[in-house]
Amino acid sequence: MNKILIVSEKEINGIIRTRSQMLVGIFFALWFSVMTAPVIMTAEESLVFDQFNNLLFYFVLMLGIFAAYLFSGKVFFNEKREGIIETLLCTPLSLRQIWAGKVLGVTIPAYLIALLAAALITVIANIFATTMLLPSPAVLLHIFLVVPAFIAVAVGLLGFGHLLLGMRENQIMNISIFVAIFFALSLANKNVISGGHVVSGVMVGAMLIMAVLLLALISYLTRYLSKERIVTTIS
Amino acid sequence: MNAVEIQGMTKSFNEVPVLDEISFKVRKGEIFGYLGPNGSGKTTTMRIMLGLLKPTSGKVLINGKEPDDSNSDLRSRIGVLLENNGLYERLSAYQNLLYYARLYGVPESDRVEKIERLLEFAGLSDRRNEKTGRFSTGMKRKLGLARAMIHDPEILFLDEPTSGLDPESRMIVRDLILRLSEDEGMTVFLNTHDLSEVEKVCSNAAILEGGRIRACDTIVGLRKSHDKPVIEITLVDTGYAERTLDLLTSQDRAYDCERDDRRVTVTLNDESPSTVLAMLVTNGIAVEEVKNATKSLEAVYLDIMKQGREDE
Repeated sequence: MNKILIVSEKEINGIIRTRSQMLVGIFFALWFSVMTAPVIMTAEESLVFDQFNNLLFYFVLMLGIFAAYLFSGKVFFNEKREGIIETLLCTPLSLRQIWAGKVLGVTIPAYLIALLAAALITVIANIFATTMLLPSPAVLLHIFLVVPAFIAVAVGLLGFGHLLLGMRENQIMNISIFVAIFFALSLANKNVISGGHVVSGVMVGAMLIMAVLLLALISYLTRYLSKERIVTTIS
Repeated sequence: MNAVEIQGMTKSFNEVPVLDEISFKVRKGEIFGYLGPNGSGKTTTMRIMLGLLKPTSGKVLINGKEPDDSNSDLRSRIGVLLENNGLYERLSAYQNLLYYARLYGVPESDRVEKIERLLEFAGLSDRRNEKTGRFSTGMKRKLGLARAMIHDPEILFLDEPTSGLDPESRMIVRDLILRLSEDEGMTVFLNTHDLSEVEKVCSNAAILEGGRIRACDTIVGLRKSHDKPVIEITLVDTGYAERTLDLLTSQDRAYDCERDDRRVTVTLNDESPSTVLAMLVTNGIAVEEVKNATKSLEAVYLDIMKQGREDE
């Protein structure tokens, strides 16, 4: 079996078994769905469909990234803080294989949280709507292609940061990202309520291209990671 | 070909030298002790040998190859137990060993048998399904050692393998290290503070102090390198021991002495053993036996440390 898949399988099992973390992820998915989906009650009849799609567009992505942030800390940061990473670096795996395995291992459960959020938003919105609401094809593409790609970008970047930076810088980075995610979530809420725009196929396509380019860039950046850098920033 | 060959290796962090011209060789199948106080550079040396750090200069060859990131084949032949045991606390003992077995590419048909055997060695067969986070320090250490051996490595790098272990477990680990070397021809590189451990299991050792190798030889050679004659005096009764030490270490004589119950080991200066014996008898010390002895490794180690500090 591919070594990357062995690492990712272990990380997925580890995340799923850590009940507290999964519960936090599920709680946030539920909380934001319950708090945001009823917004469509306040929308004009003609804007209900667009607002519902906007909700899915913003919140599924944001909650996926939030879950990625939540899980990355355990997979990258804790492993480095506890020194286990040093033993892992002595195995036949290359540094990039370890990074890729962990990115995949965090992306999958984080994406599952994002899908849960999409399902919850759809169910709750339909409770309040007078007509049945289903995602547009563009939003479906967004959920099935752009969201996992952006989650992978977020995990890749966070993992890169955790491995590259020292413990203190990592703590500062964690707090900054936490604040940034909540700021982005409130900004998304504002955009949805104002009914700013309609999610189009072009917009989704552009985001997908951006995600792929970012993934390629982060993958390239991992060349600048070295075992020495990781080991000397453990303590 | 040597299992480890290090030639003129130096390492600096931010231009501060940590290792200075380190050179030694470890033959295949040998148990090599790497001794030194905290901060002497032992862990840095081991990290360089494992490819976790790059040397600033010099040559480092493990099984004839440089331990860089591209050399995954070399890493698959090496077993490592670092200060951290490399165990995942949320995984059970069995799952931890299985994970590493898969990473090292242990064939599926051998995995279960190997894991069972190593769990038995670690005394954890009946706790195989318990999360390792619940284990004691000693249990984790033994499981860490089992993990390091999951793929039958050719070279085993051990950093303080018996720290946190009770005396019985220490003996089990020591016996295992000896067996691995004698029966399976495994090379063992042992980073340790424990001089008695080195004396019991190692054939060769290097003593590191202040980033420099102060001595490197066989254990017998290290003891002999201390060129002053040593005698072991057995006293008739323990009651004479304190007085004997007082006499031998009084300012005008200042012999190096070690006491073990009613035996006193004395490093002589220029005198003959009979002079010392006469002095003791004259002062009313009842001596049962006097014989030639060698200095313990501990005494040699402390001498070398002292000498190193004086040189600086």
